[in-house]
This record gives sequence, C-alpha cells and structure tokens, in this order.
Amino acid sequence: MTAMLSAAAAIPRLRLVTRPAARLPSARSNWLRPLSSATHVTPPAAAAGAGSLEPPDLHRLANAARISLTLQEVEEFEPKIRQVIDLFGQLQAVDLESIEPSLRAGTATGSSLREDKPETFVNRDAIVEAIPSYDDPYIKVPRVLNKE
Amino acid sequence: MALTLLRGMRTPVSLRSNTGLFFNVLRPRLSHFTTRAESAHATEPKAVPKSIQLATKEAAEQKTQGFEAIIGIETHVQLSTVTKAFCSCPYDYGSQPNSTICPTCMGHPGTLPVLNEKVVECAVKLGLALNCEISMTSKFDRKQYFYPDLPKGYQISQFDIPIAKKGYVDLDLPVEFGGGHRKFGITRVHMEEDAGKLLHSESGSYSQVDLNRAGVPLLEIVSEPDMRTGIEAAEYGAELQRIVRYLGVSNGNMQEGSLRCDVNVSVRPVGQSEFGTKVEIKNMNSFSEINRAIDYEISRQIMLHKEGQADQIVQETRLWDESSQKTFTMRKKEGLADYRYFPEPDLPEVVLTTDYIDEISKSMPELPEAKRRRYENMGLSMQDVLFLANDDNVAHFFDSTLEHGADAKLACNWIMSDIAAYLKNEKLSIHETKLTPLELSELIASIKNGTISGKIGKEILFELIAKGGTVKGVIEEKDLVQIADPAAIEAMVDKVIADNPKQLEQYRAGKTKLQGFFAGQVMKTSKGKANPVLLNKILGEKLNAK
Repeated sequence: MTAMLSAAAAIPRLRLVTRPAARLPSARSNWLRPLSSATHVTPPAAAAGAGSLEPPDLHRLANAARISLTLQEVEEFEPKIRQVIDLFGQLQAVDLESIEPSLRAGTATGSSLREDKPETFVNRDAIVEAIPSYDDPYIKVPRVLNKE
Repeated sequence: MALTLLRGMRTPVSLRSNTGLFFNVLRPRLSHFTTRAESAHATEPKAVPKSIQLATKEAAEQKTQGFEAIIGIETHVQLSTVTKAFCSCPYDYGSQPNSTICPTCMGHPGTLPVLNEKVVECAVKLGLALNCEISMTSKFDRKQYFYPDLPKGYQISQFDIPIAKKGYVDLDLPVEFGGGHRKFGITRVHMEEDAGKLLHSESGSYSQVDLNRAGVPLLEIVSEPDMRTGIEAAEYGAELQRIVRYLGVSNGNMQEGSLRCDVNVSVRPVGQSEFGTKVEIKNMNSFSEINRAIDYEISRQIMLHKEGQADQIVQETRLWDESSQKTFTMRKKEGLADYRYFPEPDLPEVVLTTDYIDEISKSMPELPEAKRRRYENMGLSMQDVLFLANDDNVAHFFDSTLEHGADAKLACNWIMSDIAAYLKNEKLSIHETKLTPLELSELIASIKNGTISGKIGKEILFELIAKGGTVKGVIEEKDLVQIADPAAIEAMVDKVIADNPKQLEQYRAGKTKLQGFFAGQVMKTSKGKANPVLLNKILGEKLNAK
C-alpha cells in the first residue's frame, strides 16, 4: 500500500491536473491513486484501443472503496479522475507485448521464504492500545451481517 | 489502517453488558449450534443410517424424474503449520482472543508479509496427492473487500496462477450407501490466508472481532462439478480429510473449522448441456450434513422445476439448518462480487525447482487410494478395506501386524471388532493403547496353533490392550493354555455326566439340546480352557453311547 501511495505522488504533473497530488493523504485522497479497470486486473483493454482507457464508474468505485461522496463531490472528482486515467491511457500507445510486467521492485537474491519458527510479538499492549474500540478481549465493531 | 476502517462508522449509542449467547455471524437465528468436541483422531462418524444402494438409487431417482444434479465443492483446509502464513505469530486453536497477533497480521501500516516456507511445502504435497500439475512459478494476488475480520481490507490469495491445477481424486463410496468407485476432478489448489473470527451477540448492537486466526495459512481446493449426489459429495469431503491427515498438513477437523466445505448445487434436465442456476450452500458442519443438505437442495430444485417455477431458483447463498433439515436463503447474490484482484506487490513469485518437487514426492506417505487398492488385492472385502484405510494409524497398525506374520483377514477382524469397540469406548486412538502389533500377531498365531481358544483370546486381548504385556506372559500368568488332551477332557466329561443324572435322562429321552448344558458345565470346570471342538466330539460320543 505504501508503495502505491508514493507512486501516486510521483506522477508527473501536467497542466491539466490541478490539485489532487498536493492534497494531504487523508483516507479520501487514497483513491486518487490510479486504479486500473474496475474489474479484475489483467492488462487493460486492448478493447479501449491504444491511447484511451475507460474511466471507472465513479459511484461503483466509491462504493467498492466504501467512501461516500456527495453529488457535488462526484461532479468535482469525475473529470479529475478522468485526467489521471488519461495519463495512463497515453501509456497504452507504447507496445509492451514482448515485455514482462514489472510487478514489484527488485529481485530477491536468495530465498524469500521464512522458516516456520514462532516468535511472539512482545509489544502486544501497544497494539491493544491502538485499538479504538476495545471490549476486552475483543475488538468491538458495529454489528455487521453481510459481506455486501 | 484500523483508523480508516472505523472512520465511517457510527459509535454505538448504548453499551450493553454481555448478555445472551454469542453466535458466529453465519449461523441463522433459527437455531443455535453448540460446538461438538471431536477427538482429533476420530474420523467423521457416518450417522443417519440409510437403506442400501442409496447412492445409485438416488441418482437413478433423479434420472427417472428427468433431472440430474451438478455439484461442485470448494474446500478450505487450514494448515497445521507452527506459524501463520505471512508472519511469525504462532497459532493455537482456542487461545485467548487477540493474543497471537502482531502488526503484520493486524494489517498495520508499514508492515510487509513474508511467506512461510512450510506453506509452500504443504501446497506442493497436497497438489501431488491430488494428482495435480504443479506450477513452477505462481504468484499471489490481493482479493479486496471490506469486512471487520479482514484487517488489511484485502486477503492475500492466488487468483489466476494457482500453485496446482488439473488434478483428480479417486475414492470408493461406503458399502452401506451402495459402494462403487468414483473419480472426481480437481480444478485447482491455491494458497491464501484466513480471516479473523467475527462474533455477534444475539441482542447487542455490536459485533466482536478476534484476529488470532487472521493470517493463518489456508489451502483452497476447488473441485470440478463432477459430483451428482449428496453421498458422492460427502465422500469427496471425507477423502480430502483422509488425505490431509495422511499427509500431516492439517488435522482436517470440520468442527474446529480446519476443514470447511462450501457446496454449489444446480439441476438440469437430462440431456441439456447448459448448467442450471447454481445455488451455494453453507453451514454444514459434518459430512453427513453435507450429504443431507445437498439431497434436500436437489429435491427442492427439482420440485420447483416440476411445478413450472424454475425461475424461482436464483443464484444465491443458502444456509443448511440441521434442526429443520432444510436450506434457507441467507442472501440473494447481488451480481458477482468485485474483488479488484491485482498482483500482490509485496510478495515475490513462488518459484519451484524440479529437485524440490521430487524431494517432496519421495517423502510422501502411501496415500489412502494406494492403500485401498493394496488391501483389496489381499483379498479383503470392500467393507474391511474402507475401514482399515480410513485412519492412517489403523492402517499402519494393521500393516505392522502383518509384518509379524499374521493372516490379513484375521488381523482385520480383530481390529474391526474387539479393538475398534475398545477404542470407541475409551475414546482412544489405536496407537494410544498398550497393544502392540507384535502381540496382536502373537495372539492370532496362538489361536491358530491351538494353544488357546478364540474365547480365551478375547480375554487376553482385553488384558493386553488395557495393561500391555505379552501374550505368552498373560497365558502363563493366568494359566490359560487350552486343554486339548483327549484323556483330560474325557475325565471331565465323565464327571459332569455322573454329576447330572437327571439331565442325562432327559437327554436320552430326546432332549438333545441339553448337550449344550453339558458342554457348558465342562467349560466351567475347565475354566474355559477346554478345546471346544474336541469337547463336543467326546461329549457327543459319551452321551450317545451306552
């Protein structure tokens, strides 16, 4: 997650983009970082054609991200998101057919696996302290019924 | 991350004290379920006796009604590794809530997952056991959704490149359900992490989260939709349980939640190539429940078809209610969930070498299917075969007994009858008793060569299983050697006849059944040691002479 945030900050600012990148990283601005298409991500659309990407359905996106927007905010953000998506749309013009996707930074030399040996985290108290609503020994949350 | 999660939530108006019972969120309110304690070694009991030939009968019934059922099963197996999948927290079932946690499995910002090598090993083992193609490289993906028991807001799973795919499992249906061999396809096996536990109070306005289980490694096994009846599905589940226990990758307890099955059922008219609408069924806590739930659902769907209300069958999740023996709607599926999968950037690809896979392949134990075929070739009946191969410990004990020279059928009989009864009573596993395979083979040999009678053998068995020791030792100690000397038996018979003139008269008068009485008396005198065959021969001669 942190990797994605820094990536967002690193997007070159074109003249069309006004403020978003400068905004403080509140929970809301998290979704300004570019997400690829709303459905699962395999290389975005040859369908959209080189040079353009479908902008996401904002209502659906906000719902998926559990962020509530006012109608005004939807109007405000829609063009800004479109601009960000268009940036990536420009990248579609590049032929990447024969290039391996760069999914992560670096390649581990040696094993990236961990031995199956237990370690008790010593500062459990600090974790518990950080829980906003703690009903010993449970984390208390509002009643939730469905995954949807 | 916890903060972002709670931002949109309203704080509860009143905080009530803990009243009422707490239920797992998936249970419907119609009844509550208590957890049943299950011995870790006992295999799933097959309750609900049904008439013979039921599996084939049911399938035939469906066909005569003109329909066939298509069943697919998704199984989640919780691995019995020491630590979690992506952090070094230990995991113990039943620990104090929120005690086996750390910032990584709690999903705190700045933490990174590191894959547990044991998880890969278990995945490859299981993939091989299920005859799958193992992917030399596979990757992890993020499956994103919001739920209180999912700390990161996503589950690390494998989406398009699982570690194993295209396998199959062989099994035999239980004799009492009609028997028969089946082969079911396995679509894929992949690695993922478990979520925490969500409990919510019956009355309260809040729910409670325990994240001990968050991050525990799971293997998800997706079957091809090859099953056609409830019993086929139940037996598939039972075979997966057998396999994971044989391999030692999981204890496969449905009650504990280390083996979970979600079933998809649809029906279609025979001959139609398109599948009918698929209904998911959850909340089955044992294999027999899986069996009954599926059979119920199949009849429900066929019934709707027949009433011309096939459109009432919608894609949804239904819960099985054990008390009413029905399935109920849990929620209608509002379109497919949008998990926004993308490759997990924090984890490298899982790369395997052929050497690694070969090493694991060599270390695999003999699997249930191989055992069943081997026992079948010994000439044992299917019923015997299924019993012996069901529990790895029993099979091992049986094999050891044979190694000491015992006859297969006899050893099997002892294990299935007297020994099994004792184990059930004492709630023990076969390797927890004091009986050794060597002594069992000694016992069988002693009976075979006439040293002791079968009846005495049972007594000795009881001694050995409860207190240990050797067959020879017990025989000596209790003076149990069978009396097979004809002269000695004759003497006893003469005395018994002389002592019971009245019965002798009755016998001579025609009441030949009294031979049993005389035999009993001789047995009593000999403290059960008289050889029964010889006794009856001599007795018969004496009674009918004169």
